Amino acid sequence: MSRFNLALRLLWRDSRSGELTLLILALLIAVSSSTAIALFSERLQSTMSQQAAELLGADLVITSPEFIAPAWLEQAQQLNLISAHTVEFHSVLIEHDELILASIKAISDTYPLRGVLKISEGDAGVESIVHQGPEPGTAWLDRRLLSVLKLKLGDTLAVGEKPLLVTKIITYEPDKKGDFFSFSPRVMMNNLDLLATGILQPGSQVHYYFQFIGAAQAIVEYKNWLKPQLNPSQRVMDSRENRPELSSALNRAERYLGLSSILVILIAGVAIAMATTRYTERHFDATALLRCLGLKQQEILWLYSSQFVVLGLVASAVGSALGYCAQVGLFYILRELLPQSIAPASIGSLFFGFIIGMVVLLGFALPPLLRLKQVSALRVLRRELEPRQPAVWLVYGLATSLISLIIYKYTHDLKMTVSVLGVGIISLIVLGLLIMGLLKLIQKRLDGMSLLWRLGLQGLLRNNRASISQILAFSITLVAMLLSFNVRNDIIDDWQQQLPKDAPNHFALNIFPNQVQDFKEDFKQQHILGSEFYPVVRGRLTAINQIAVQKRVSKDSQGDNAIHRDLSLTWTESLPNENKLQAGEWWVRLQPGLVSVEQKLAESLGIKLGDSLAFTVGSQQFNARVASIRSLRWDTMKPNFYMVFSPGTLDAYPSTFITSFYLAESQKELLNALVKKYPSTTILEVDLILQQFKTLLTQLTQAINFLLYFALMAGFIVLMAAVYVTLDQRIVEGALMRTMGANRRLLRAAQLIEFSVLGLLSGVLAVLMSELILFALYSQVLHISYHPSFYLWLLVPLFNAILISLVGCWGVRQVLNKPPLLILRGL
Amino acid sequence: MKTQINQVTNSVIVTEGLAKSVLTSEGVLHILSSIDLIIKSGESIAIVGESGSGKSTLISLLAGLDKPSSGAIFLNGKSITMMDEDGRAALRNQLIGFVFQSFQLLPGLTALENVMLPLELRGDKTAKAAATALLHRVGLAQRLTHAPKQLSGGEQQRVALARAFVTRPAILFADEPTGNLDSKTGANIIELLFELNQENRTTLILVTHDHALAARCHRTIRLEAGCLV
Repeated sequence: MSRFNLALRLLWRDSRSGELTLLILALLIAVSSSTAIALFSERLQSTMSQQAAELLGADLVITSPEFIAPAWLEQAQQLNLISAHTVEFHSVLIEHDELILASIKAISDTYPLRGVLKISEGDAGVESIVHQGPEPGTAWLDRRLLSVLKLKLGDTLAVGEKPLLVTKIITYEPDKKGDFFSFSPRVMMNNLDLLATGILQPGSQVHYYFQFIGAAQAIVEYKNWLKPQLNPSQRVMDSRENRPELSSALNRAERYLGLSSILVILIAGVAIAMATTRYTERHFDATALLRCLGLKQQEILWLYSSQFVVLGLVASAVGSALGYCAQVGLFYILRELLPQSIAPASIGSLFFGFIIGMVVLLGFALPPLLRLKQVSALRVLRRELEPRQPAVWLVYGLATSLISLIIYKYTHDLKMTVSVLGVGIISLIVLGLLIMGLLKLIQKRLDGMSLLWRLGLQGLLRNNRASISQILAFSITLVAMLLSFNVRNDIIDDWQQQLPKDAPNHFALNIFPNQVQDFKEDFKQQHILGSEFYPVVRGRLTAINQIAVQKRVSKDSQGDNAIHRDLSLTWTESLPNENKLQAGEWWVRLQPGLVSVEQKLAESLGIKLGDSLAFTVGSQQFNARVASIRSLRWDTMKPNFYMVFSPGTLDAYPSTFITSFYLAESQKELLNALVKKYPSTTILEVDLILQQFKTLLTQLTQAINFLLYFALMAGFIVLMAAVYVTLDQRIVEGALMRTMGANRRLLRAAQLIEFSVLGLLSGVLAVLMSELILFALYSQVLHISYHPSFYLWLLVPLFNAILISLVGCWGVRQVLNKPPLLILRGL
Repeated sequence: MKTQINQVTNSVIVTEGLAKSVLTSEGVLHILSSIDLIIKSGESIAIVGESGSGKSTLISLLAGLDKPSSGAIFLNGKSITMMDEDGRAALRNQLIGFVFQSFQLLPGLTALENVMLPLELRGDKTAKAAATALLHRVGLAQRLTHAPKQLSGGEQQRVALARAFVTRPAILFADEPTGNLDSKTGANIIELLFELNQENRTTLILVTHDHALAARCHRTIRLEAGCLV
């Protein structure tokens, strides 16, 4: 016990003298970021699974593009299931000359079956819970709609041709979907008013949700009865089996956050290793003395490791608490993308960060700490006797196994863990070698330089390994930040910039065949520049050469994306403009039963000329033979199609038309007239959609950046740790230089050079890497044009140099402040 | 008064009533008291005394590394007492050379670069040539590009000697220059030190415990409890 007391006393002294400050800070950063991510993921996942029924709005849901057969509802009734249904679609709303694309949801009287609705009746924001939706003749609106359309409660809002009294503000609905279009503000109305809107017509793009609740056995029985009767465009979801998926954007953000937190752990780990190295070296003398006084090697190890365990326990506990707060911040940033009530955190996740803290400490601090065990008692007489450096395999082996475990924890996928680790290690080695090469180059050039530059650069070359770690830590963090910043902006800006000035900026969907001629006339009269009108039939690709299409795709590929949803199928006599025939021939005469497939989709699904493709439209099925493969430009803002059929193929199915057109800013009021004249037509304003998309991306990147700030902080801890490792030597050298007549200005300028070059190098490397990654990403994955950002080449290294110089010079301020007398005192 | 002024102007180092005291938790501790010294150009002085007698404090004050609590110091006729640290640094660069017990070479620089450093700090363009010549003079022609850790203790002290003399300083402070060397190497270094001192006509101020070494100097100053005896 007395030994433990000694350990505690030493720990207390060291922490009071600031010896352990950096170690504690690094540990706090690692623990708080891991705790935040663990809590965030766990709460998100458990919200999704615990509230599955509520998120589905029922025990079982059938989704369908059309009303289901009455027999299905009768069967549900026979099984004593209670049912409700909702109809969702998009419509442009206009009031007070303001217009917005809204997501309309018409509900039946029994809605919601599970969960509750929350509403507010004024600006005060007091929420109340209700169990039924709006009465016929009334509508509940998202608060955003009120401000955009300049409405207040008690006003009238026209949905299509039906005026509805706005009575409540809707703040929460249980079954809100997490897809992109759910970001359009909500209008909830009663489905008895639906017919009067005039919006729903055969072929309209509408989603029907039939919801059921009842005894568990009855639900299973109903599902089994239902399954064989579903057509490919219908789905049945059961709250026990089909946990609602997070939207893909949120899913990716979660994965990216996990990886970012590994970055934080890695950088913090490097800082811990460096800080422990300095701690260890400063304890050689004391340890030699203790050895001289009779302490055995094992006892030395116990003495120090018990201090680190206590330190780890305290720092991890504080870090977990900080992580909890950080996680609250993360949910706040993403609040609009998430359900309103989030499942509480479990002790397990809170504990996860705690464990990470201890494991990181063990993984990164143990190897340098083990050196203390090696300290010889003879050092009391011969100070130059230093213990051996820790074995390389121990240092890197421990760190790598630790990081692999954490990656596995986030991915739950061995293959992915191995590939992330492999790519990570290779990148680190390549970058490390590159930096080493650069440092060697500087070393070679040193001879011809002035004293000031030599002194400055020698500071950087003094400890190659530490310099490489610092440059790596900063450049990797900056790369991650630059990527999230650039991708967000470029996706939208590049696309907008590429479009010709008069490229269509509006899409009109759901134009019924009898309206096409009127539409064309109106365009002509108003001098609106429009593209072709294409007929659209919603259908799904189900088989290629009689083999189910699901068997031919890899996950997340373009093909995978295309077969899990209804496609817009069209037909034309001639090849659409901006489409190029890549293989096969275009039909020259009336030849029903042929299809032309977009090239990239054909590649992804392995479709070749002459293949037989099976499609379903509603419950009907038909086949078509692949006559040609087309390439096309998706960014023309004109209707584009994966599948174009020969005329006559789709005649049997209800169709609507789609077109796009250009409206100058001055013509915007024409939109109101169009929307009023054709209430069933959905008009999408590209600007508005881009704006909504931008908001979504901004929130996701904010969440990711939130975590990257932790990485940046960890980077600065690495910098400080590296500075402190060499601080004693720097102080002696500074004092010696001043003894020989160097003034402070020279020393300060040399320090400035050292840290600026460090900042410049890591900044340039970060921009170089991010530009390379962006180039690959844009040209290979996103297919948007790549423009090198020249201002980043200037700004990032410059700001990085300034920031690192400020922090670095602050860290070494003692070198200037310690009197040169020290050099004599030290003798 | 006139004699005093003459003494100040003709001497390299003059101190008047020099004292140094520090405040400790147990009150004021007097390290040096009333030191009056006149050291003439070209003189060699040995400062001897027990550990803690104030030897290091005295040379730190004489070299302008520290400020006295009271009294005045004149180097080459200029009072350094009122100068700030950077002013004294500039004066050190012009007038003073140092040799330390533990060599104090900068580990990141080669032998040549260590010797060039004081000249470069002056902005001397001939630093390389002068440093190379002096390293030849101390017998290290083959060691120019070696880092300090690649040199033996004796070789390191030779580099330190070359560094001290490369600026042809008016005053050289040597603090136990053989303290970290074996007796044979130490003797060689002392020979070299006195040779260089004569060649350069430097005023030598040597702190030592070695009476034989002290005897080779023109004068010996003994310190006891901070006072000249």
